[in-house]
Amino acid sequence: MRFFIRHITDKIFTILTVLSVIMLVAILAVILVPMLRKGLSAIVFNGTIEFRKMQLDLFSRGDIDELKNEDIRSRLYRNKIYETIESFKQNIDSETLSDKAGVIYRNFGKELQRKNIKGAEYQKLRSLSRELRDKLQAVFKSSDKKFIQENISDVLKFKNDIAFKDTSIDGLFVLAEDFASDIEHIDLSRRQQYAASLKELENIITKLLGPNPSLPVPALKMDRYGATRRDIAEKLLNRLLWLEQWQQDSPGKPMKRVITPRAELFAGTEIEPLFNYIRENLDEILVFKPAFYWQYFIDDSTPGHYFGGVWPEILGTVFLTLAAMIFVFPIGIISAAYLAQCQSDNLIIKIIRMAINTLAGVPSIVFGLFGLAFFVLYLMPLFGGPSKPCILTAALTLAVLTLPVMIRASEEAIRSVPQSYVEASLGLGAGKLTTFISVILPAAMPGILTGIILSVSRVAGETAPILFTGAIAFGPTPKSIFDPTRTLSYGSYDIAIGDKLAALVPHNQYGMVATLIMLVFCLNIAAIIMRAKISRKLKGH
Amino acid sequence: MKKLIVIIVTVLALTGNLLAEKQTLQIEGSTTVGPIADAFVESFKSNYPELEITVKKTGSGDGAAALVDNRCDIATMSRFMKDDEFKKAVDKGVFPVAHVIAMDGVCVAVHPSNPVTELTTAQVRDIYTGKINNWKQLGGLDMPIVIISRDTSSGTYETFHQLVMGKEQMAAGVEYVNSNPQAHSRIKTTPGAVGYIGIGFIDAEVKALKIDGVEPTKETIISGQYPIARPLFLFTNGYPKLGSLVYKFCTFHLTETGQEIVEAKGFIACTKY
Repeated sequence: MRFFIRHITDKIFTILTVLSVIMLVAILAVILVPMLRKGLSAIVFNGTIEFRKMQLDLFSRGDIDELKNEDIRSRLYRNKIYETIESFKQNIDSETLSDKAGVIYRNFGKELQRKNIKGAEYQKLRSLSRELRDKLQAVFKSSDKKFIQENISDVLKFKNDIAFKDTSIDGLFVLAEDFASDIEHIDLSRRQQYAASLKELENIITKLLGPNPSLPVPALKMDRYGATRRDIAEKLLNRLLWLEQWQQDSPGKPMKRVITPRAELFAGTEIEPLFNYIRENLDEILVFKPAFYWQYFIDDSTPGHYFGGVWPEILGTVFLTLAAMIFVFPIGIISAAYLAQCQSDNLIIKIIRMAINTLAGVPSIVFGLFGLAFFVLYLMPLFGGPSKPCILTAALTLAVLTLPVMIRASEEAIRSVPQSYVEASLGLGAGKLTTFISVILPAAMPGILTGIILSVSRVAGETAPILFTGAIAFGPTPKSIFDPTRTLSYGSYDIAIGDKLAALVPHNQYGMVATLIMLVFCLNIAAIIMRAKISRKLKGH
Repeated sequence: MKKLIVIIVTVLALTGNLLAEKQTLQIEGSTTVGPIADAFVESFKSNYPELEITVKKTGSGDGAAALVDNRCDIATMSRFMKDDEFKKAVDKGVFPVAHVIAMDGVCVAVHPSNPVTELTTAQVRDIYTGKINNWKQLGGLDMPIVIISRDTSSGTYETFHQLVMGKEQMAAGVEYVNSNPQAHSRIKTTPGAVGYIGIGFIDAEVKALKIDGVEPTKETIISGQYPIARPLFLFTNGYPKLGSLVYKFCTFHLTETGQEIVEAKGFIACTKY
């Protein structure tokens, strides 16, 4: 019976261990796989012509001739969109039409002066043309179809008048005729509504296709290009095709999302077929092509990480990590050696050890504030530098943060070096220092490297300590350790809180986090390989 | 290993020597004004490529502290300096000068499914002090109100506190978030939520309420009709020397490009080109 129970408990224990390992792997997979997969979408995606234009303009990359050809072809399709909107706008935009009539009237006045017509004849033509203009302007403002038709036919009576033959007043008649034929399809009472809907439509089209080439180039790079990727383009197309509204069925009930085709807003007008046109020709308009944007890792970015890559962040993170390691490595080992060599566990050693353990538990933001107060505000001016945050102060702060980890790992490693090694060295006549450097340290190196691996992962991912001591959201690539730097960790934070742009480029957000994970991974692999090499050497292979 | 360390040390030492004389500009402060500063820098860069400008976005209070410590050239702030900040600055020989670069409206926003469209300032205050805790009391649905506020170090919080709350304290159940995007995403996912965010963050996913009968638009904000509006500041130590870099940066919003950028970022420009 007892044997049976033992057998059962053993089995249960095995099952539990297997289960916990499976759970660990599953959790890792749940966290890391989607993160890396989404991060990968910053590099591999379906790019549009707008993406290639942006690459050419900002990074001088890509085939100019091919892009030109693509551009010409896509323009053919785009122009129809712009033309349709332009002509529709003319009909609903009474102000522009009124202005046009005004210009024609003024031009006619100049024409009369040029032709040297004077006196009563001049007065008569002038007042007649003014009358025509006023009538047309009233027509453009009105939404009463009957009034419009009457007035337009009044105006058109003068079309064959000899006095106006081949003068600029002809333009007025053309304007009137166009307007008369156009308004047949437009519900004039909805003019204002059309104007508002059209404005929204134009906004979405600008985001999808980039700014209208006939308008001046926008000041910000992020506004100069349309959708750069298929996923964004499809999102925008969805917004273009479908109108989302919130409506209440009955009082006391929450409002409901109602989705209707946007085309209904323009029912019966020349804009209506445009929606289908864009949907059907999206491929020709945006010229999708698979893109492999590996330069994501070596490109600088525009503000808010809207375009471009994460090179300055990678560089900053590596710089910071290496610099911190340079400070941590000697200090950590020497402290560890002191703690390990002191055989007697007296009060001082106990206090020191307690201090180190406490230090390991201090929240990282406290280190950040300490770094700001001590390194940035006190030490930097003391050595004659400006009290401005930089890589050096950030690295020192990170070094302090990770020192306890380093000391504890190294101490364990130094302690685990067999006493016989030390005795052999001492027996051969070597001093304490020589023994430490040439016997203990190499033998303890694999363990110390474990400490370094732990520290590197921690340092590369920390945000709080560098918040005030050397990280910036936007700035140039650092040129020396006296410059502040962008880092992957602070960049991920900034992209999430700083700007509303982040919501528009989620792939860049994931890309940055994935890069951070991969960078830490690479640094760890490098250290692990180094550790394996040293271990093998120690074993005499 | 030793070789590696030697190499790294030499590289770092060498790069340290490259520290040449160059024009630098350090900007620090508000998360609200930060994006405008970013965009100004982008545009500035094309005119002065040799410039080195850095931007940090941690909060208006941090900007003020950095200016007082002389750690930055320009502090971006979404509120005016407080009395004690001013005093501390003057004690240290720093004389803060404010440059208003844009206007911003703080909108009280709710989930789009919420039928309430209008509140008075007093009602908003009662919501945030906890006197009103159900939308039913405001003529809405029978739904508890989830109150979202920005963290207390944010300039948006200060503005809201000053213009809406007066001297009253916020209720204990208020949920604090530390950025505009976070407030936005809390409101858009919670049907009973109410929060306040900058006008640039209002979109189809959250609904801005009329306050005292005034809809928050560019026109009502610039004319002062909309009650919860504020200027956005750049603070410098003294008025910058004419023609200097800081001067050019602080007056950039007066140019046509500056206005375009301010508007592109969803704020209201002080100029009318």
